[in-house]
Amino acid sequence: MAKAKLSMRERYRLLTRDLDWEPTYVDPKKVYPYTRYEGIKIHDWDAWDDPFRLTIDSYCKYQAEKDKKLYAVIDGFAQGQGHLSLTDARYVNSLKLFLQGVTPLEYQAHRHFGYLARHLDGPGARFAALCQSIDELRHTQTEIHTISQYNKYYGGLHNWSRMHDRVWYLSVPKSFFDDGLSAGPFEFLTAISFSFEYFLTNLLFVPFMSGASFNGDLATMTFGFSAQSDESRHMTLGLEVLKFMLEQDEDNVPIIQDWVDKWFWRGYRLLGLVAAMMDYMLPRKIMSWKEAFELYLEQQMLEGLFPDLEYYGIRPPRHVEQAITEKEYMSHQVYWILYQFSFAASFNTTVPTDEELDWMSGAYPETFDRFYRPLWERARRLEEEGNRFFFRGLPMLCQTCQIPMGFSEPGDPSTLSIRTSQFRGERFNFCSDGCKWIFDREPEKYVQAWLPVHQIYQGNCGGTTIPEVLNWYGIQDGVDNGEYLTSPDKANWDKWHTGAVVGGA
Amino acid sequence: MTVKALYDYNYPSKDRPELFGDDMLVHVMWANNMMFCSAACFRAPKAMSFADFKSQMVDPWAASDPDYDPSSAREWQVNGEPFGADSDVSLADTGVGHKGLFSFRT
Amino acid sequence: MTSKPNVRQVGVDLQDSEDSRALVEAIEEDNPDVNLIRMPGLVKMQIPGQLVIRRETVEQRMGREWETHEFQMNIVSYSGNISEWDDDQIVIKWEH
Ligand SMILES: [Fe+2]
Ligand SMILES: [Fe+2]
Ligand SMILES: [Zn+2]
Repeated sequence: MAKAKLSMRERYRLLTRDLDWEPTYVDPKKVYPYTRYEGIKIHDWDAWDDPFRLTIDSYCKYQAEKDKKLYAVIDGFAQGQGHLSLTDARYVNSLKLFLQGVTPLEYQAHRHFGYLARHLDGPGARFAALCQSIDELRHTQTEIHTISQYNKYYGGLHNWSRMHDRVWYLSVPKSFFDDGLSAGPFEFLTAISFSFEYFLTNLLFVPFMSGASFNGDLATMTFGFSAQSDESRHMTLGLEVLKFMLEQDEDNVPIIQDWVDKWFWRGYRLLGLVAAMMDYMLPRKIMSWKEAFELYLEQQMLEGLFPDLEYYGIRPPRHVEQAITEKEYMSHQVYWILYQFSFAASFNTTVPTDEELDWMSGAYPETFDRFYRPLWERARRLEEEGNRFFFRGLPMLCQTCQIPMGFSEPGDPSTLSIRTSQFRGERFNFCSDGCKWIFDREPEKYVQAWLPVHQIYQGNCGGTTIPEVLNWYGIQDGVDNGEYLTSPDKANWDKWHTGAVVGGA
Repeated sequence: MTVKALYDYNYPSKDRPELFGDDMLVHVMWANNMMFCSAACFRAPKAMSFADFKSQMVDPWAASDPDYDPSSAREWQVNGEPFGADSDVSLADTGVGHKGLFSFRT
Repeated sequence: MTSKPNVRQVGVDLQDSEDSRALVEAIEEDNPDVNLIRMPGLVKMQIPGQLVIRRETVEQRMGREWETHEFQMNIVSYSGNISEWDDDQIVIKWEH
């Protein structure tokens, strides 16, 4: 006689509760040694609930289906010379920045969720972490497959793993994630699962994947959406874990508030790279950074999520008003940095076209024509005179976010913001009140920051001249870096689109 | 607040002055020129005179902007305080300090 | 406008694919107030209060069996809180 199929709820309970046991001959505190020292108090791990109620069979079934679909599209992309149907080769630069920055983070996430799958006390939480660990490995793989498609035709992607450990702008995502990895498990969950994957993920992925679709990049759109389908699970975990910690003990609230504050600003600064991509690196724009910020952060999060969290005594993140002020100009400040330092980057930058400048005037009526259009017009004149503008030197870096200190005083784009702290008699510099506040909370941690500029000056980066450092980065001078208009990417693209017979690359 | 850890958490700074020997890191900002997205960072000998620092390091950097006129740099400040930049003082004696900031306007 | 200022929005973003079509129709049927925006590659559905996805409606639209777990094949993102996800329905709303 066939048994009636168990309900989702029942199957999930059997998997996550029935297969678990209480250790008896070893002290549970020794089995799970890392879940107490952060000060978070958990009284009942059984109160953990995963709304997805995934079980091994359905997890495997759907992940296999997602992969099958994805790799079929990537194959089709390769066979159909999909890279030729992009809006423009310039688009690939946004992809380079994204794949160089994000792929290694996926792998780090895979590793750390594997660690949590062992070290969280509750079986439900461990199982959610296990699924996420496998998901993140899948994301790493799909991104590497996408890299390998583009690497056949475009510069800059051949050395992404080494670059992540060495190159100055990639130290921004790397140091962000290292900060989370080196924290305790609960802070990591707040940092990555809540702040990054719930609070900020829509700003990071959704506009970017839509941008890929809009710019003819089927491969990226597909890996992106495939990853995002897992991401909705990760988002849920992020919100669940936060509520779980808040509900377990009132003493957890101030600790979590501090983490929400810290990881909002950390994540927001990292998103500066996304802001620059959206406004400058997509030849066809989907929406401006400002619009995306208003929709995803102000409307969905500040008006939607935070009233919910207020119930637990959590207020909106510290320094969020500064982010709101910055929406009028942040993308311009970040791309201006990338433009003048792209001689040391593994992607190309260029002055926006006239249509783009006009689009920006419309999208940023308060700031663009007043502050940024004159800069771009001058940069274009210099380029046309054969004197492409580069910052001939190395920049001052923020000790916390590690971005060159190109951010301004809030609301005043023409004055650079510089904050400092003294610790053990040494001076440290920051781009903003947010980054200074984060440092001042844990100076012992951030004094260890591997700041690319200072490392070059200490002689730890292959030499002290630009060619030596580029060589150490694995960036081929004149191929991967610098101005787009004179780049091999642009020359190849023009050759492929002249209507002449295309043979080989 | 300090770092929460399961062990004694105490590590040296990665950019502590000793690592730079007779040199130091110094930042320079051209305050009223938005062409430069940020201040610049230099490694310079502590004993170098300010005049040499300016002509050998600051001027070539500032010349990234072809309109830069070295004689026009004025209103110098050191860590936000007015500073008479024509002096022959060594960098160490300017009081800028390791990772400190000079700024000027034109 | 159905949205009052004090009713917070929730929503889901689905892949704009052939597979999602029946799902989008089912969501529109069960949530008459839903506001649908198409972005490149994406269908964005937003609604004040709560959004529900019912298995039965989806199955009718698809003309085949469909389990709620399968929803993750189409979802790109959501805003709100997944307050219920069982064999028969998925409910997204804010809790407090
Ligand atoms: Fe991922
Ligand atoms: Fe994720
Ligand atoms: Zn910073």
